[in-house]
Amino acid sequence: MRALFDVHGLNAVFYKEIRHVVRDPATLALALAMPLMQLLLFGYAINLNVEHIRSAYYSEDRGRLAEQVVDGLKASRGFDIVSVAPSREALLQEIVAGKVHVGFDFPEDFSADVSRGKPSSMQVLIDGSDSAIAQSAYGSAAEIGTAISQRLSPMNGIPTLVDVRPRMLFNPSLRSANFLVPGLIGLVMQNITIMLTALSIVGERERGTLDQILVTPIGTTALMLGKLVPYGIVGFLDFLLVLAAMHWVFGVPIAGNLLLLLLLGIGFLLTVLGLGLLISTFARSQMQAMLMAAFILLPSVLLSGMLFERELMPPVMQAVSYMLPLTYFLDILRGIIVRGAGLRDLWSSALATVLFGVFVLGLASIRFARTTS
Amino acid sequence: MSAPAIRADALTKRYGERNVVDGVSFSIERGGIFGFLGPNGSGKSTTIKMLCGLVMPTAGSAQIDGLDVVSDSSEVRRRIGYMAQGFAMYTDLTAEENMEFYARAYELSKERREKRKASVIELTGIGKFLQTRAGILSGGWQRRLALACALLHDPPIVFLDEPTAGIDPVARRELWDLLFQLAGGGKTFFVTTHYMDEAERCSEVAYTFDGKLIACGSGDDLRRLPDVEQPGTVRYAVDAHEIMAVFSALRALPYVKDATIFGREVHVIVDLSVTPQKIAGDLHGLTGPEAVKRIEPTLEDVFVALTREQNT
Repeated sequence: MRALFDVHGLNAVFYKEIRHVVRDPATLALALAMPLMQLLLFGYAINLNVEHIRSAYYSEDRGRLAEQVVDGLKASRGFDIVSVAPSREALLQEIVAGKVHVGFDFPEDFSADVSRGKPSSMQVLIDGSDSAIAQSAYGSAAEIGTAISQRLSPMNGIPTLVDVRPRMLFNPSLRSANFLVPGLIGLVMQNITIMLTALSIVGERERGTLDQILVTPIGTTALMLGKLVPYGIVGFLDFLLVLAAMHWVFGVPIAGNLLLLLLLGIGFLLTVLGLGLLISTFARSQMQAMLMAAFILLPSVLLSGMLFERELMPPVMQAVSYMLPLTYFLDILRGIIVRGAGLRDLWSSALATVLFGVFVLGLASIRFARTTS
Repeated sequence: MSAPAIRADALTKRYGERNVVDGVSFSIERGGIFGFLGPNGSGKSTTIKMLCGLVMPTAGSAQIDGLDVVSDSSEVRRRIGYMAQGFAMYTDLTAEENMEFYARAYELSKERREKRKASVIELTGIGKFLQTRAGILSGGWQRRLALACALLHDPPIVFLDEPTAGIDPVARRELWDLLFQLAGGGKTFFVTTHYMDEAERCSEVAYTFDGKLIACGSGDDLRRLPDVEQPGTVRYAVDAHEIMAVFSALRALPYVKDATIFGREVHVIVDLSVTPQKIAGDLHGLTGPEAVKRIEPTLEDVFVALTREQNT
């Protein structure tokens, strides 16, 4: 029987894998350039119209007008009011944590001023980290102001009785790059790492070199580490590379803590390395491995929230999105890069990312050990 | 140590409903070359893989040097060399890098690695190709490289799965000369092959058919099997220019029990009472009596006879 944890011959596998990389600089260059290219290609792509944007409000209004406006918002298709904030700070915090995308803030004398015919203003805080949401929210908010003003004084024709003042948070210029690029980082890391890991292992099985290794005293763990560590390093270099491109090419600054981002990125890398390893235990040929990787890729693109808001999906698709590791890492990427969120805001996604890493890599290791002994 | 080099007891591997290897038993003494023969799909590779610990037996057991291949697999791995079917070296690495990898895989010290590499390089003569990528070596040199790698840790027992498939005749002969040299030095080789001339050179051969071992022993043992040499019969080779005409004519003769074409000869089995002159006469001038010679069965005759026996 082959022991589950056996690092004999680790040195040999490292030696060999490094030689492979040195001998094939084209593949390494491709592995590093591909994510960058994907980032550039997708970077400027898509724009969407969004309804039912999750929103919260905070009101100091002593009258009933704020409530009426909120009722109007609830009835509209543009916004879904999901919570009432106890304070102005809490309202902002809910947006930073990604719980809502829009916050309505009504001043103390809102009703009083308006009833006296004096123009009053309400503020709309908009999460600019998702440009599609932000643009829709911006438009809808302006319409609301006009609508309320006209209903309150249809005769006098003063459109500015209620002045709605949208304030864009995080991404004032509403560039879609600021929204799409952080999301793409996760996707490109996932693609390249899964592909490299799975193909490398399945390729050895196809050529018969895996059997040739398995008759030597090289241990299962050594073989696995020897495969995963080099590709993990390539994946991490990709991560740094696309972050740099995001910063210098797309001009998207990192608002939050870079170290936290890098650490959680390593957590995500463990998951995708594990997925690559897992695929290698199922695939009989490199072609099969490619198809399996593509099978994971498509739902990741469509359901993780990279392009489309997850809240707008049917419940079944939402359930699927919770099973995708990218969903959580995406939340972390946008949270840290665009909204400057910290671990306190993102703890659930961070926990999910780490748990996914441990679970997937663990499962893959057990299967790998089983298929090689 | 008195344990045989390799021993299999009712070794069986089942995939689905089919016994790919079906209750195979044999015992191989130290030194010499054991030839493992059989048609494609008769379970040769699966047997080798079970002996090397790559495939778990469904039933039965096997020992290498007295060590069980399942329960003592890590110790077994240090005592065996294995050369997989086809060319299973890293084509993008140089010959030397491939050797370095396997030397490290066996965790040899740096000093020992250099010594062993020098030794297998001298043995296989691969020295001039050390810096060549394995992928562009010729078929013969690729096999030599694979053999060099399998010998790096100086294993007493070496498994070679079709080591000469697809290489030219000269390279084939040289590889076998090398195997004899090594076997003379005390190593035990377990070799699968399709080539009958190679089978003739083995010290012992086994023949599998449809997962079952149907014969095992030295070449002479096999030649004397009752299924091969029925008592009271004799085997002649008939040399002929018009081979097909001779073959048809021979098959039509009532006393010819069996006729098989081997190159420019037809081998026939007849009763002892039938003389070469009678055969030549019945061929009506297609060939003379001097062209009919009594022969011993070749291993190919043996296997043709045994396979026929199994099929009926």
